[in-house]
Amino acid sequence: MLSAALLAGVELGLNRVLAMDSTALPRLARLHGRIIAVDCQAPAVQLFILPDGEGLRLAAQWSGAVDCRLRAPASSLLRLLASQDKSAVLHGPEVELDGDSAALLELAGILQDLELDWEYELSLWLGPVGSQLLGGHLRSRVSWTGQALGSLRLNLADYLSEEARSLVGQREADARFAELDRLKLALDRLDARIERLTHRHKPTA
Amino acid sequence: MAATLIQPLCLGKGDMNDSRKSSDSEPTTHFGFQDVPESQKAQKVAEVFHSVAAKYDLMNDLLSGGMHRLWKRFTIELSGVRSGNRVLDIAGGTGDLTKQFARLVGPSGEVVLADINESMLKVGRDRLLDRGVAGNVKFVQADAEKLPFPDNHFDCVTIAFGLRNVTHKEDALRSMLRVLKPGGRLLVLEFSKPSSSLLSKVYDSYSFTFMPLIGKLITNDADSYRYLAESIRMHPDQDTLKAMMVEAGFERVTYHNMTGGIVALHRGIKP
Repeated sequence: MLSAALLAGVELGLNRVLAMDSTALPRLARLHGRIIAVDCQAPAVQLFILPDGEGLRLAAQWSGAVDCRLRAPASSLLRLLASQDKSAVLHGPEVELDGDSAALLELAGILQDLELDWEYELSLWLGPVGSQLLGGHLRSRVSWTGQALGSLRLNLADYLSEEARSLVGQREADARFAELDRLKLALDRLDARIERLTHRHKPTA
Repeated sequence: MAATLIQPLCLGKGDMNDSRKSSDSEPTTHFGFQDVPESQKAQKVAEVFHSVAAKYDLMNDLLSGGMHRLWKRFTIELSGVRSGNRVLDIAGGTGDLTKQFARLVGPSGEVVLADINESMLKVGRDRLLDRGVAGNVKFVQADAEKLPFPDNHFDCVTIAFGLRNVTHKEDALRSMLRVLKPGGRLLVLEFSKPSSSLLSKVYDSYSFTFMPLIGKLITNDADSYRYLAESIRMHPDQDTLKAMMVEAGFERVTYHNMTGGIVALHRGIKP
């Protein structure tokens, strides 16, 4: 009963978050009827996910058939949640996947694409003026931080390449890489020509 | 005080048939701790539920501390209901299970909420419609002993906290078996017998003092909640109900105790 209560709480919170993205629920509705089982091996926990147009239903057990079963340790499951390239994680040696993986990838994609309208949720608590003021302030802080980090990155690159001469500049590196590519291509051609000449002058038995 | 009210459960064949002969010729059955003529039980149960229908959900939450939601959640998990299935929710009351089943079966499936009590059915229908649950749900006033549905019709039949109010439980179980498709599942969620004697004593005190008191304060009706406590004690325990389901024709009958056996979920499969 404890795990059921815990899952009920997580499900409630998750569905409230999903409802804040206008596209998540219609996309989840397309997965209605699919049952995805997640077997976490270390620690040993089993979870069943049933997506539909109202959100996600989480169950500790499910007596019906399962469309897709994912077995992996917790570390791989966390990597799967966070990673942009989910296929790479799914092809890892410690991950086992049975059944229709498209449903799992679609679900992971929906969770990754979430764009939550926090300002609307804030407005329910603070009112339109308060949420606008707070939202505007937070947006300007985020924008300032982004600009500051971008500026820091450019200055650091300038210093390392132009003043300290520890690294080469981007354009210089590009020119060197292009030269290397040309050289590699020329070597390949020379190799092919030698191969052809050797074949032509080989004495016939 | 409360302990003196409790009558021992009769686990013999006579109790399983749920009817006893009184001094006159009409068979009697229990209504809580009273013996009443069989013809009167349905009417008396109906009066109880007419009285509590309006505040049924509030009282469920108060009396179970919200646990009834987890018990029903577990029932859903064990139902194995899928998209496109046809489900019958007997004694569906205010539609807690029906709402979840409607979500699971989707637009291609169908859920029938059946209840013998008109007031409960009305409250359930209004509540579900207010929450936007429509299209794949039907409402039927029906007696569990004589279900008005064709043979082999449903993939899953559930009865949650309703079987103890049925006069002839064997007839009801046979009727449920008839309407289930072969391979279909019956789930009976019902109050049962606590597995620990200490818990049993605490539970008795709670049932016979706290429940009627809360009933009196919230609905001004202590008698209905006294009946609830008494009817729970008169309901067959886990193993007896399992035997009844086997006798009715179900296979692979299992039960799961919840909250120390205060509630049990029985599951049987139609062969």
